[in-house]
Amino acid sequence: MATSKSRTNGLVSHDTQKRLQRIAVYLTALLISVFTIIPVYVMVVIAIQSPATTFAGGRVNLLPTEPSLRNFVVLLGSTDTVRYFVNSLIVTLGSTILSTAIAVAAGYGLTRFDFTGKSLAARAVLFSYMFSPIVLAIPLYVVFSTLGLLNSHFALTLALTAISAPFCIWLMWQYFQTVPIALEESAWVRGASRWRTVKDVVLPVARPGYISSAIFAFAVAWNDFTMARVVMSRDEMYTITVGASLFLDRVSIGWGETMAVSLLIALPPFLIALFLQRYLLQGFSVGGLE
Amino acid sequence: MSTELKSRVSAAQSALSEREFDSTTLLLAACFVPMFVFFLVVWVIPIIYALGMSLFSAPVRNPEFVGLGNYTALLGSAEFWGFLWNSIVYAVATTGLSLVIGLGLALVINQKIRGGDALRTLMIFPYLLPTLVVIFMWKFILDPNIGILNQFLVDAGFIDSPIAFFSTLEFAMPAVVITSVWKFASFAFFILLARLQAIDPDLYERARVEGATTWQAFRDITFPHLRGAILIILLVRGIWMFNKFDIIYLSTRGGPLQQTTTLPIRVYQIAFSEVNFGMATALAGIMFFLLALVAVVYFRAFAPEQEVA
Repeated sequence: MATSKSRTNGLVSHDTQKRLQRIAVYLTALLISVFTIIPVYVMVVIAIQSPATTFAGGRVNLLPTEPSLRNFVVLLGSTDTVRYFVNSLIVTLGSTILSTAIAVAAGYGLTRFDFTGKSLAARAVLFSYMFSPIVLAIPLYVVFSTLGLLNSHFALTLALTAISAPFCIWLMWQYFQTVPIALEESAWVRGASRWRTVKDVVLPVARPGYISSAIFAFAVAWNDFTMARVVMSRDEMYTITVGASLFLDRVSIGWGETMAVSLLIALPPFLIALFLQRYLLQGFSVGGLE
Repeated sequence: MSTELKSRVSAAQSALSEREFDSTTLLLAACFVPMFVFFLVVWVIPIIYALGMSLFSAPVRNPEFVGLGNYTALLGSAEFWGFLWNSIVYAVATTGLSLVIGLGLALVINQKIRGGDALRTLMIFPYLLPTLVVIFMWKFILDPNIGILNQFLVDAGFIDSPIAFFSTLEFAMPAVVITSVWKFASFAFFILLARLQAIDPDLYERARVEGATTWQAFRDITFPHLRGAILIILLVRGIWMFNKFDIIYLSTRGGPLQQTTTLPIRVYQIAFSEVNFGMATALAGIMFFLLALVAVVYFRAFAPEQEVA
């Protein structure tokens, strides 16, 4: 539909071109949302429907006609899911706290004190951030095994922190540069000690920084499979990802329970995405997550 | 740290009294000791220990010193180069596809379309879903017996009988790649979107006034702004995908017939199936070296360490 303003540009008018572009844009958006939503939808429906309904008549029925909690009841009743969950929570919280604490201290120190070799330190931090978990897992396994630390929450907490801490340090290092030192100076001038200043001035201002750093550490540890697979070999020490990964090989466990456990595993990250998205995006803007 | 900042810090520091000096030293220690101890314990010592171990042959008890024997054995085997090739194929395919999809979506959302915010939120889910959950979903969708993709393809007449995607020679790698791209395209998306939103809209207005086509505007304004981000995605995402263990291990265990065996999968197999830690750490050493090589390129290209003071 050509208006008086439109210019012809090759074969089609400018307006037609604009409109086609608009359609292409919405089509791309639609395609990608469908591609993203379908697997999640499938997981949820299978989890909340009993297998008898889902697989009735030899075909997969993906309309949630008869919601049921049967899968969750079976899952929690006949597997060690609760124990795996507790293991995951212990090491995830442990490494989140450890990683963030190290990062806050290091980030503050690195921006407030000067020393030679700072750019070397920056490179080392970034290099370890890019490092492969499996390449680090083998040496850690060897050392933990020598020290008799395999199958302990402590060892896995350390291993997970090894993966998350480099990026947390990098994040806090960048974050503290945005905190003006004048804030601290004015506290010193009024006679506050450096420690008081850190506690009452620096930490409160740094809050958005360490929240995003903690979210990152949490996501890394909760998602981890590699480290837990290597460090924990005793069944009762498995984390939820390792424990659930074995479900597929067990005849007694079907897709219903598998999707139910998936839903439980997905819950914490889902809540993070829902409520803490902006902190997460802050992480992306500094250079992505793993 | 800027010189102005530096002088203010030292001025403030000298203003502190004698009594304060001790507490400053303590603060300095509190800042750096945890980091140094931590890096020493979980990075430096294990890696040195492992590099040492890579010079010994199996068995676990009474290992024999073989020098660089493990390394030459690895580099001399056709197997190694095959696994390296698999790693490269997997890394290039996943990174390339993620970049294309992420770029497409970032350009779309940057148009401020209706529902754009919802789409952005939606894109963060695959990224946050733990790998295991992603694998479960795709194992179900691609399952030969009950998978909905096979059901659809058979119903629509595209194929006669269902395909066992993860365990068929020619489909295993594509299946693993699609699963990975589903999870990681959002990485490229968020980084590119951040860059797009930083572009001054006046540039496009001026280009429009001067009669530039959409393509010309993309080529001359959008692309130059994205070049750095694209390079970061190619390098960083590429490194991570090259080293990815969990997705492949959980979906195919490296099969069928080692079709999806990449170097990380091989390291795990050598260490825990064949219990040959000398060889496993040697292979990890080779990967370490490859990683360092790319890291050098990364530091040359970006000097990211200049970003922090």
